[in-house]
Amino acid sequence: MTEQTVETGAKKKPAMLQHEIEAKRLGLYMSLPAQLLLAFIVAFPFLMQVYISLTWWGPLDGTLWTLAYESMNWFGQYGEIFQDGRFWGSIGRTFAILGIAVPIEFLLGLGLAMLFVQKFPGRPIFYSIMLTPMMIVPAVTGLMFFLLFQGTGPINDMLGLPQNYSWLQDINRSMITIIIADVWQWTPLMFLILLAGILGVPEDQLRMASILGAGKWTSFVRIVLPKMKTVMIIALVIRVVESFKIFDTVYIMTRGGPGVATETISLYIYKMTFADLEWSYVAAMGLFILVALSLLAVLGMWQMSAAQKRQKAMMSAES
Amino acid sequence: MYRSWTSHLWRYLLILIAVLIVAYPIVWMGTMAFKPFQEWTTVDGVHWIPEKGTVENFLFLFNGEVESLVVTLDRTIWKPLLASVVTASLGTFIAVVIGTLGSYAVSRFGVGMNLPLSVLQLRLFPPLAVMIPVMVMWAFIGAIDTWWGLSLIYAIVTLPFSFWLMKTFFDEVPVEIEEAALVEGCSRWRVFYRVTLPMVKAGLATTALFVFILNWSDYLLALLLTRKDWVTLPVYMSSLASAMGGQMYGMKAALGLIAAVPPVVFGIMIQKYLVRGLTFGALKQ
Repeated sequence: MTEQTVETGAKKKPAMLQHEIEAKRLGLYMSLPAQLLLAFIVAFPFLMQVYISLTWWGPLDGTLWTLAYESMNWFGQYGEIFQDGRFWGSIGRTFAILGIAVPIEFLLGLGLAMLFVQKFPGRPIFYSIMLTPMMIVPAVTGLMFFLLFQGTGPINDMLGLPQNYSWLQDINRSMITIIIADVWQWTPLMFLILLAGILGVPEDQLRMASILGAGKWTSFVRIVLPKMKTVMIIALVIRVVESFKIFDTVYIMTRGGPGVATETISLYIYKMTFADLEWSYVAAMGLFILVALSLLAVLGMWQMSAAQKRQKAMMSAES
Repeated sequence: MYRSWTSHLWRYLLILIAVLIVAYPIVWMGTMAFKPFQEWTTVDGVHWIPEKGTVENFLFLFNGEVESLVVTLDRTIWKPLLASVVTASLGTFIAVVIGTLGSYAVSRFGVGMNLPLSVLQLRLFPPLAVMIPVMVMWAFIGAIDTWWGLSLIYAIVTLPFSFWLMKTFFDEVPVEIEEAALVEGCSRWRVFYRVTLPMVKAGLATTALFVFILNWSDYLLALLLTRKDWVTLPVYMSSLASAMGGQMYGMKAALGLIAAVPPVVFGIMIQKYLVRGLTFGALKQ
């Protein structure tokens, strides 16, 4: 049932010239609001961010941001980033959360999806239940785990730990609670996408394989996995991109604390924005992250297209 | 026969464990909302089911005071609730209208081919990395802490979803139907408005619900762009603790429950299309 759509772009137009002109014009009008909105939120703010990042400007200066040139700092803020231990620490913690949570989510999601491949009584209901966590407002998820991990909460009670055994206020354990909350909320997303991928594998191929004597494991490794490669990459990319942004649950559960124990990059930027009010430095950090992520994205796409080319070359060599 | 029975048993056992894990936090918060404060902690035993069930937590949120508590609430839940409903709905409306028009232009006329990728880029970056200019701009046009300022940013950040989701629905409508209407002498706009749009009505509703869930779930943007008058439910929730000093577990749980219900209901309604929406149409179910 699942199919990967290839972007085909424009559909074939009727061969009527007058209609074609009319169509072009209407298309222009129809895409105009989206174009304007993008220009409004992408082009102008980007230039503004570059500008502010080159100055010392902050909201307490009492001047408009347009006058920020009066206190030019040039690339000072960018130089600062490389010496900012807290920045790199928060980047490290973000990747630690991402690097632990996403693989767990992936494996659990894949395992769950395998359970749901075949039909069984009650499947639709269990399917809906399994999807619930990802629909819950992330801030509320934060609250749920905040309540669970209180010293006097049910987790300590269940594990038989004393009530002064703290999770959220402990330097090492607070990180674990964040990861647990993330896994709880986003394993369903992996499950959802991976199940769609598995169900998209053509059934006749699997039947053929079993007629030819392939075991379940063999046909999974040889047929299902290769077919699901794209789906798996999509699921992983979505989760990696989203968990890099992690903020809501962390902010509600620990506020980045104790100290900076759970301070991810988003939390660090937030604190610099509202507690330290160093807006020009925040702008520089933001741009730095923007450029770094863009480079990663370009690199990733380049890798993917190279892999695709290799695959095509191999296939044509085989035939 | 025997083998399939045991394999079913294993499946149910594993799924049961998964269901328990899913339910554990939800049930704890859900029952907490109906517990009097004596049962909020496990100091005198765990109370999974409230022993003296009460709706006082809810009453406290809506009325600002209850008999059993000395403390009162100076800001009740009404305004944040209204703020959440208004901004999420308006943001959804704008995103869906603009996304629908834009995606139709791309899907049918090939105009604005830069749109698909550029809207996708909007999702790549952490919002906080690009929020300084937005906050400066919002302050400049007086949009901080207003219903329209928050709605506008919601419309922008969810535009990628409405755009891509609507595009998949338009791509599914056969062009031949539109061509037939064109031959009949309909104008292009009429074809879109009278022929195609009614055909994607279900898709439109799905997109709207999907985008609404995303807007309703936001916490960060409301935290950045509202101060007092138009804080939404999640921001109100996190401010509740700091304002009250003591830990108002029960009230917070009640609030969390109220905030959690709409997206779950809507999400189950459109679960068939979740894959499509979340993968920007790359995968269909």
